[in-house]
Amino acid sequence: MKLTQAFSLGRETVEPANALPSNALLWLIGSFAILLAPQWDRLPIWLVAACGILAVWRWLAQEGRVRLPGRWLRTGIMLVLIAVYVATVQGRFTVDTAASFFVLAVGLKWLETRSTRDFYVLFFILVYLAGVNFLFQQNILWSLVNFLAVALLLVGLQVLNAPDLPSDMPSGWRRLGGLLLKTLPVVVLLFVFFPRMAPLWSVPLVSGEARSGISDTMRPGDISNLAQSSERAFRATFGGEIPAYRDRYWRGLVLDYLDGETWRQGREEGFRRPGRIAMDGGVGPLGGSEYDVLMEPTDQRWAFALEGSSAVSDNVVEEGDDLFRFRRPADSTMRYRLSLDESSGAGAAELSNAERRRFLQLPSSGNPRARELAEELSRQLSDEGIVDELLTRFREQEYFYTLRPPAMPEDGIDALLFDQKRGFCAHYAGATTFVLRSAGIPARVVVGYQGGDSGAGGEYLIVRQYDAHAWVEVWLDGQGWVRIDPTVAISPARIESGLRDAMAEEGSFLEDEVLSPQKYGDMALVQWASLQLDRINYQWQRWVVGYQGQSQMDLMSRLPGGIGLRELGYLTAGIVGAGLLIAGLFSALQLRRGERRDDFQKVLLSWHRACESAGVPVRQGETPNALADRLAQARPSVTETARRFARMVNSHYYKPSSESDDQELRRMRRLLGTMKRQLREASQRRQPHTESGPAS
Amino acid sequence: MIKVFRERWQRWVNRRVPRSDSQSFNQKNIFILPTGAGVVFGILLLVMLITGINYQNSLIYLTTFLLGALFVGAMHQTHRNLSGLRLTVTQPGEGFAGDEVPYRFRASAGNGPTIAIRLSCEDSTLAPFHIPAGQAKDVSLPVPSAHRGYLRPDMVRIETRFPFGLLKAWSWIRPVSPAIIFPRPVAAPDAGSTVEDGDEDSAQRTTPGNDNADLRPWREGDLSQRVMWKRYARTGQMVVADWEGEQGNPQWLDFYAFAGADNELRLSYLAWQVLERAKASTPFGLNLPGQVIEPDQGPAHVTRCLRALAVWGEEPPRDAIAAEHGTRRHEAPREKEAAA
Repeated sequence: MKLTQAFSLGRETVEPANALPSNALLWLIGSFAILLAPQWDRLPIWLVAACGILAVWRWLAQEGRVRLPGRWLRTGIMLVLIAVYVATVQGRFTVDTAASFFVLAVGLKWLETRSTRDFYVLFFILVYLAGVNFLFQQNILWSLVNFLAVALLLVGLQVLNAPDLPSDMPSGWRRLGGLLLKTLPVVVLLFVFFPRMAPLWSVPLVSGEARSGISDTMRPGDISNLAQSSERAFRATFGGEIPAYRDRYWRGLVLDYLDGETWRQGREEGFRRPGRIAMDGGVGPLGGSEYDVLMEPTDQRWAFALEGSSAVSDNVVEEGDDLFRFRRPADSTMRYRLSLDESSGAGAAELSNAERRRFLQLPSSGNPRARELAEELSRQLSDEGIVDELLTRFREQEYFYTLRPPAMPEDGIDALLFDQKRGFCAHYAGATTFVLRSAGIPARVVVGYQGGDSGAGGEYLIVRQYDAHAWVEVWLDGQGWVRIDPTVAISPARIESGLRDAMAEEGSFLEDEVLSPQKYGDMALVQWASLQLDRINYQWQRWVVGYQGQSQMDLMSRLPGGIGLRELGYLTAGIVGAGLLIAGLFSALQLRRGERRDDFQKVLLSWHRACESAGVPVRQGETPNALADRLAQARPSVTETARRFARMVNSHYYKPSSESDDQELRRMRRLLGTMKRQLREASQRRQPHTESGPAS
Repeated sequence: MIKVFRERWQRWVNRRVPRSDSQSFNQKNIFILPTGAGVVFGILLLVMLITGINYQNSLIYLTTFLLGALFVGAMHQTHRNLSGLRLTVTQPGEGFAGDEVPYRFRASAGNGPTIAIRLSCEDSTLAPFHIPAGQAKDVSLPVPSAHRGYLRPDMVRIETRFPFGLLKAWSWIRPVSPAIIFPRPVAAPDAGSTVEDGDEDSAQRTTPGNDNADLRPWREGDLSQRVMWKRYARTGQMVVADWEGEQGNPQWLDFYAFAGADNELRLSYLAWQVLERAKASTPFGLNLPGQVIEPDQGPAHVTRCLRALAVWGEEPPRDAIAAEHGTRRHEAPREKEAAA
C-alpha cells in the first residue's frame, strides 16, 4: 500500500503545512518581526518587504488559505531573491551585508518550515539574529526589544512542545518568568565575573555604510546639513570642572588641502588593517584634569578631543596636528579617556618648510577678489594685524550666520565675502583660511564640534550632530597655532550658547526633525524626559555595554584579593558549579517536601515488614484492622498495640484529624516502636520454634 | 564490545527500574540528556560567546549567559516534570495478534504539574498529555502484538521534552502484568461436507494427533457414528470421540477438528469460529487439550474462550519478582502466595 503510494506519485510527498502548531508558529513570526525592527534603517526596503511577504505566506498556508510553494517555485523564489541581494550588495562584504543575508535566509526558511526540525532551525537562526542585532544597536531600548524577541522565541518553543496546554496551568510567559527569576543571580554573577578575554582574532568592521557625522571633506554646504540632525555624537564626563561653553572646541580633524571648493585632508590617512577590537577606555575614577568621552559609532578612526589634550587610555593614539585616532575604526560605541593640560603651548617650535608649504597650499586660480583683498592686507599689516582686520571685517560688516545660505556656485569664497555675505560656519572658516593663505600666513581648517549641553543631573555633556562646527587655526610666529573662529565675530550666540539660540530668529533650527525633543527646547517636560532617557542610556552604555576588559579589571581591583584574568576564570567555573549545585539541592528539597506525605506510607510499610517478620504475611487489599487481628492471633502479646495502631492508621486516612500531621506521625512512630519491641520480646520467648528471618 | 556495554547498561537500568506494575519516578530512575536540538543549542551558545568575545560586545555575552542559564533552568524543569509522577498499569490489554493492544495506565502527578508526557513502546507512541498537580489521568497505550500468547512489553518509555525541547528526561516502566493476545482469527475450512462420510472419518482417525482425542459422554443429538461402540460393549457407557466435535456437534468447537493443521493454525481457526458463534449468538463449548469449556453464550463466555485459546500451552512470563524497595528477597514468594 505504502509502496504503491510512493511509486504512483513520484513527487516529494508534501507534508501538510499545518503539521506545526499554529500558535507556536505565530510566536516565531512575531519574534521575527520584532527582530527586524532594530535593523529597520540598515536593511534594504525590498528585503524587509520580501521577508514580510514570505512570513505572511507561511502563515496563510498554516491557516489553509494558500498552499506552500512546491519545490520549483521555492527554488525560483530563492534564486530571484538571492539575485536581487547580490545586485544590491555589489560584492561588498561587511558584517552589515552578512547580517542582511542572514535576514534573507530567515525569510526564505519560512517557506520550508514544515516539521519540528525546521522550527528548531528557525529558532536557532533567530536567536543568532538577536545576537547580530546587538552588534548594530546597543542602546537600552533596542536591547530590551531584542530581549523581548528572544523571550517570544522561548515562549514559542514551549508552545511547540505543549500546544494544547490547558489554561489552568501556568502559561509560557509565567514559566519563563519564573525560570528567569531563578537564574538571574547566576546570570548577573557570570556577567560580572566571566573573564573578558581579548578578542581571539580580528573581525571585520560591523558596518560599511555611511553614518551621519563629520566627514573628512568639507564642501561649503556640508556642515549645515549636519546641523539639521539632533543625533548624539558623543557624551563627555569630566573629572574636574566642565569647561565654559565657549571653550568647548572638540577637535576632530584638520583639513588643509583646498581642492577647488572642497577642503580635504592633505595627508591621506594610511590604510590600516583593522586591528582587534580594544574597548579599554581607561580605568578607575577620573582624575581632576581627565575626561571620558563615550562616542557613538562613526566607522571612522577620529576621536574628538578638546584643545591641549593628551591620551590616557590605550585605545586612542596621538597623531600629527594634535589629533587623536583610534586604533580601529569606531564601529561600535567607543569610550576613551583624555587629560587636559592647560600649559600646553606648543608654539615654540618652528614650522618646517614642508609644513609651511602644506599650510599655504591654494588652487592656482579662482576667487580673484579674495586674493586681491589678501594682497592688499598683507601689504599694510603684520600677520596678527591681518587676522584682526579680517575678524573686524566679519564683525562690523553685514555678515549673517544662517542655515539657509544662498547657492554660490562659482568663486564661492568671493561670493560669500563680497556679495551674499550669508553663510554657515563652514563657509566662513573656508573663506578665512583662503584669505589668510593668500596673504602668506599658514592656516588650516579644523572640523569637529563646538559646545554640548548638560545631560540630566549635569553629570556629563551631550554633544549632538548639530554642534558640528568648523573653525580656523592660524600659525603665528612665536605663538604657534592659534585658534580663530570667524563665527564668533558673526554670531557670538552660536559659540556662547549654541545653535538653537543662534538660529532663534531664523527659526531654522532642526527644521526637518519634527520628532526630536531637542527641537522643543522650551517645553520643559519633553526636555526633562529626553534627558532622563539619555541618562539611563548613558549609564547602560557605561556599565553594561561598556563592561569590558579594563572596566572589569577595574572593578576587580576594588574587590579584596588580587583577582586577575585567571582567578576570574576559576571564579566563573565556581559560580557555574555553585549555581548548578544550589539549583540541584533546591529541586531535591522541593521533591523531598513533595514526598513528605509519603512518610505515612513509610510507617505503614515498616509495620508491614514487622508483621511479616513476625510470620504474618500481608495480604493484598487487607484493611489495617484485619491485619491487626491476624497479628494479634499470631502474637497475642501485641494485641492491644496493634489494634491501637490500626485505629490510628484508619483515622489518618478516613477522618479529618485535629492533630497536625507531624504530631500524628510522631505518635504513630512511637506506637510502632513499642509494637516492634513487643514483637521482639515475644519472638525471643518463642525462639526455639520459629525462625523468622535473619533481621529479627 | 558494544554488546557487552549495552548489556551492562541494561542491567544497570533494570536495577533502577524493577519490574513492577507501578512505578514512581524520582532522581533514582529519571535519565536526562540534551536532545539533538539541545546539542545544537550548545554549539550556538559557543558561537555566540565567540562572537561576543571577538566583537567585545557585552550584550552578546549577556544574551549567551541568559540563554545558558535558562538551559540549566530548563534541565530542572524537565526533570521536575517527570519526578513525582506515578505510573500504574490499570489494565493490560487484550486483543488479536497483529493488532495493537491497548495497555491502560493511570498516571498520577506529584505535587507539581506534569506537562507534555509521552508514553511509547517500540514503535507506538502516545500523543503528549498533561496532568495538573495532584491529579491523575488514565491513558491507554497501544502495544503492537505479533503472535498470540502473553505479551509483556519489556520497557514502556515515558519521556518529556517540556519546556523547550532542548532536553529530554525519560524513564521506563516495566510492567509485570502481561496482556493477553488472542490468536489471529483465520477462516476455518468449511469441514461440514466431510461429516456424513464415515470413510473419511476413519481416514482421519489415522492421522497423527488424533490418538489423544477427547472422549465425552454421549449427549442428545450425537451421531451414532461417533459413539465408540467398542467401549460401550466393554463398559456399558455411551462415549463419543470428540475429534470432530465441530462437524459432529455444532455446539462444540474442537481443537482436533482440523486435520493436518499445526497447533497455531488450529487455534486461529477456533478463534474465528468463536467469533462466528458469538456473532450468531449461538451457544458453544470449547474443547482444548487439557481444558474444556462447557457450552454457553454471551460476551463473558466469548472472552473466556478467547483467553483460553490465547494462553493454551503458554507459560505466563515470569522473571525475578519485583521486590518493593526495602523488602528482603526471601519474603517475596510469600507475598506472592498471599496474593494468590
